[in-house]
Amino acid sequence: MMLEDELTVSTRERDGVAIIDLVGDVTTFAEEKINTAYREVTNNGARFVLLNFRQNDYINSAGIAILIGIVTEVNRNSQRLAVSGLSQHFQKIFRMVGLAQYAEIYQDEEEAIVGFKRVA
Amino acid sequence: MSDETPQHDPLEKVIELRLPSKLGYERVAMDTASSLARRMGFAADRIESLKTAISEAVTNAMEHGNQQDAAMKVVVLLTAREDELIVSVADQGRKPLDQDCTTGSPKIEDALERDDKGGWGIWLIRELMDEVEFTTAPSGGNQVRMVIHLEQ
Amino acid sequence: MSSPAYIQTGMELSLPSELGFEVIARDAVAAFARRLCLPADQIEDLKTALSEACINAIEHGNSLNPDLRVQIYCRFEGERLIVEVIDEGVSPVAPKNAPLNVVDKIAGLGSLRGMGLMLISQLCDEAGFVAGKDGGNCFRFTVSRRHANGVGY
Repeated sequence: MMLEDELTVSTRERDGVAIIDLVGDVTTFAEEKINTAYREVTNNGARFVLLNFRQNDYINSAGIAILIGIVTEVNRNSQRLAVSGLSQHFQKIFRMVGLAQYAEIYQDEEEAIVGFKRVA
Repeated sequence: MSDETPQHDPLEKVIELRLPSKLGYERVAMDTASSLARRMGFAADRIESLKTAISEAVTNAMEHGNQQDAAMKVVVLLTAREDELIVSVADQGRKPLDQDCTTGSPKIEDALERDDKGGWGIWLIRELMDEVEFTTAPSGGNQVRMVIHLEQ
Repeated sequence: MSSPAYIQTGMELSLPSELGFEVIARDAVAAFARRLCLPADQIEDLKTALSEACINAIEHGNSLNPDLRVQIYCRFEGERLIVEVIDEGVSPVAPKNAPLNVVDKIAGLGSLRGMGLMLISQLCDEAGFVAGKDGGNCFRFTVSRRHANGVGY
């Protein structure tokens, strides 16, 4: 397959928050990577999960479906979920879809960490 | 004067793009449309909406209408007018679109319960564009016609 | 021969033959080339080559008649991206002789017209007019994907 690798997913921890960095496009091709990263942080006992977006100029409805899948898991596992780093456009889309009811939307990582501390 | 009968308003400018039904190639339609919209003077947030709507329309055409058969084309027509941009996306219609799915409003509460969390595409197009119409293309495939107005 | 993969993954673009639309063609073709992992600097070369080819088609092949169209076909064949820019052939643009080099141009030999073609031939692996359909001029150029050496992947 010649297609460029459109999404890079990595995980790290900061102040008790499991951060999943998503750099690139979130489309149908992202499913395996995002689910794997989520399972990894969950198996490590994460209670607070932050999806930290970067350079995400393309998220589509297939990508949104993947994120809704994560919300389902987060609810099942009694974790808390937040997102950060989304462009204005995708913040709007997340609100339209209703994802904002299940995941706090923060401008950036710093703000998200502070936000998690408030509810911790 | 040209002896050819103009098929459209001479002030209209039409760009036609034909793409293989291969996921990922919707990016070509998104970038072409945003390049045109930028030159027409659309604001950045409207261009983002346009890109999302086009990506949904083109991926639908690839996945449903053309059943991901790369040899089948998706035809994107971009018609630039003085005050609006019309985007029409047509597939080669192996599978007609169920009319019911062009009008629904999905709810995230339901999606959380379902195995299939998708089904947001057409709804997003309706939310983001000023006019949306689902028709049959001259070729017999599915066609979605979307209009975005240029607000001054 | 059954439909090879390169035909299946080709794209076609049709534009009004009007200056300014080459900029949209650039963005479309760049997005296409990105699908095929062309490195960023090769995409920049491609964009420059494509705009020059479009401008030629608009100004010369179609003699600045805005009612005409310019067609662009792109496809990947192996490691090569092949681009064809086709006009409606109001005037033939294929130069009779090999393109002049910049020294000759500056020396005033030949018109500045054709500078675009010279630029394209330097940015691409192969460039030139080929037999087109329906009397149009068909300018074809190719870019071979260069693999990054020793950097990252």
